[in-house]
Amino acid sequence: MRQTLAVISLNLKSIPRRLGMSTATIGAVALVVAVLLGFQAIGNGFRATAERSGAEDIAIMLREGSQAELNSGLSRDQARLIEVADGVARDETDNGIISAELYVIVDGVLRGAQTEANLGLRGLEANGPGMRQGFRLVEGRMFSPGAAELIVGEGVQREFLGFELGQEIRLGTNNWTVVGIFSTGGTVFDSEVWSDLGVLQNLYQRGSSVQSVRARLTSPDGLERLQAYVENEPRLNLDVQTEAEFFAGQSSGTAGVISSLGWPLSIVMAIGALAGAWNTLYSSVDARAREIATLRAIGFSGFSAFIGTMAEAVMLSAIGGAVGTGIAVLFFNGLSFQGLGDSFTQVVFDLSVTWDSIETGITLAIMVGVFGGIFPAIRAARMPILAVHRG
Amino acid sequence: MNRLTLVRKNLFRKKTRSTLLLLSIAIAFLLYGALGAFNQFWEDPPQAPTRLVTLNKINFTQPLPYAYYNRLQSVDGIVAASHANWFGGYFREPTNVVTSFAVEPESWFTVYPEFDMPADQRARFISDRTCMAAGAPIAEQYGWSVGDRVPLQSNIFTRADGAEAWQLEVCAIYTSTADTAGAGAVLLHYELFRETASFGGNSLGWFVLLTEDAALNESVSRGIDDMFANSSAETETSTEAAFNQAFLEQFGDIATILSLVIGAAFVSILIIVGTTMVLSIAERTKEIGVLKTLGFRNNAVFGMVLAESVFLSLLGGLIGLGLAAGLLAAAEAGLGDAFPPIVMTVEIVGSAVALMLLFGLITGVIPAASALRLKIIDAFSKG
Repeated sequence: MRQTLAVISLNLKSIPRRLGMSTATIGAVALVVAVLLGFQAIGNGFRATAERSGAEDIAIMLREGSQAELNSGLSRDQARLIEVADGVARDETDNGIISAELYVIVDGVLRGAQTEANLGLRGLEANGPGMRQGFRLVEGRMFSPGAAELIVGEGVQREFLGFELGQEIRLGTNNWTVVGIFSTGGTVFDSEVWSDLGVLQNLYQRGSSVQSVRARLTSPDGLERLQAYVENEPRLNLDVQTEAEFFAGQSSGTAGVISSLGWPLSIVMAIGALAGAWNTLYSSVDARAREIATLRAIGFSGFSAFIGTMAEAVMLSAIGGAVGTGIAVLFFNGLSFQGLGDSFTQVVFDLSVTWDSIETGITLAIMVGVFGGIFPAIRAARMPILAVHRG
Repeated sequence: MNRLTLVRKNLFRKKTRSTLLLLSIAIAFLLYGALGAFNQFWEDPPQAPTRLVTLNKINFTQPLPYAYYNRLQSVDGIVAASHANWFGGYFREPTNVVTSFAVEPESWFTVYPEFDMPADQRARFISDRTCMAAGAPIAEQYGWSVGDRVPLQSNIFTRADGAEAWQLEVCAIYTSTADTAGAGAVLLHYELFRETASFGGNSLGWFVLLTEDAALNESVSRGIDDMFANSSAETETSTEAAFNQAFLEQFGDIATILSLVIGAAFVSILIIVGTTMVLSIAERTKEIGVLKTLGFRNNAVFGMVLAESVFLSLLGGLIGLGLAAGLLAAAEAGLGDAFPPIVMTVEIVGSAVALMLLFGLITGVIPAASALRLKIIDAFSKG
């Protein structure tokens, strides 16, 4: 044991002698880890945003089989039926607390790329904003019923051009005035623009139809009661689920696709880094051939030589992993990003480097060290004692 | 034994090391070739130069009035026009997405002349409106063959008669003779859609036009958009190329991400190979002294060391490009469906070879310079 410790310290102390190659290995491993964490941060950021968006006590109803608000359609009469449904909470005047909403896609211009991208424009009634947890107006005021006015999510303002407070903006053939900026605390709704339902129905020739109805549930069993009510009402052909379920069922959209590229890319790059580690350690063993042979000659075991080289390898790659994590946290964490979501509109979210992915990254780095060190370490262990005379 | 043999022998004197270096260089160029091809496809998807698309200016998900179809045909410079509606189809389960358009069959094949199928299948599809034409990849995906009856459902539209699905016969299976996107879609008759859907049948999704000449694209686009300016549904006409690119850009800034990854891979491989080359030359100090003693000129020694790193870089790089070509071919076989093949273009291969040379020069220049400056006396006095 003491032998092994002594050899480990010899190995580690000799690292500065091979500063160039050791730094190269650390740098290569760091880049692998940074790439992996960067890609995972895209997926994690998107998922975190989607998870934050759904409430347990809000039910969302779409036409059967439509899966997304964009595809769905309900009539005003159907919305009225839901208003009196079992399981839906009532306000002071005994009206059901529901929000019938229309969701259309308009073209916005992205700040970064200066290209047009799909932006969700939602029409809501008075109840609507209050049904989003954490909704607050950051600046300005609410839109007035009947006026072509918009309130704009924080994410939209960050990523799209032309949505400054007080500004007039042309979407398609209509002019709108931005009267407020809102936040829902980093949910997908921050990537939307909201207006009065009636105005939107009118301008987009949708009559009195809507695309989704949200309802506040009375109690945990409210959902079942509402589902039973919808089931027994022949005029309603709806899928009823909690908002939390709805968002959990959404795919991660393009963010997920991009994120899934992370693993294959990092593995391919890790093989490159492995080659680097291998070279560095072979040259470490070669450079210390005499030293190792001397140790063997005075009675140190081959095993201690093996462990010494492995320790050097793991040390280098662990430092690389730590540097890579640092790069990822510094440059990627919290970076604003936008990608296409399930509703076919841009979703703005922050990249998030999570503990889970950091653990994975460090594990990958150490794997590179272990595989990179094992063959050089075997060579060190088998170093013939005669090598003491060489060189 | 000429100098080239010497370079080669030097390169492979340590087999493990050279193999590892070749491997890491190959990986850098594998990424460059594969991602570069992907990136180029992304930036510049293949398309016909005279094909235009007209969409609702608000967004392409908003419909256009049916009357526009006849009106726009009067614009000068248009050879052919067709229209389509997004059908939002799925097969049995909502997750089995079927990219499907309700189209006017005859004119659709006029604006997409590259869609190819046997003449009898084509005639059958055009004449029978309970027929569908399926792109070969999607037919393969769901195991459809000509003559099958397929229930197609929509996640947007319902049938006016309350039936669950559109029962369509697979009358034609088409392939594309060009690398066009959209060759994987299912086509059904617009007339059938208009008569059976409970809503949405009276408007159109988008128009596809062919112009006489690519030089007329600009004036045709302006002609159409001016015609419908200040109406309730303004239009936006652009080339198919511009539309595809804008559509792909929606998916996020893929190009930047890919460039960053390629950059990171190159930087890491550069430092690995560079430091190894320095080390490998440093180990041979004595030999270089011997060469110089034998009368090799400084320049010759410099050239030999540089040749070694360039040779290494070229060999590794070409292996990497070969792997990339294999990977893309495999991806094409696996991906199938609506995606046109992604290939490495001449520009990518050319720039890769240029990069290999540059890479070899960069990694070789420091050790070559130190070999150049080496004095014979120092070479032998060192350990």
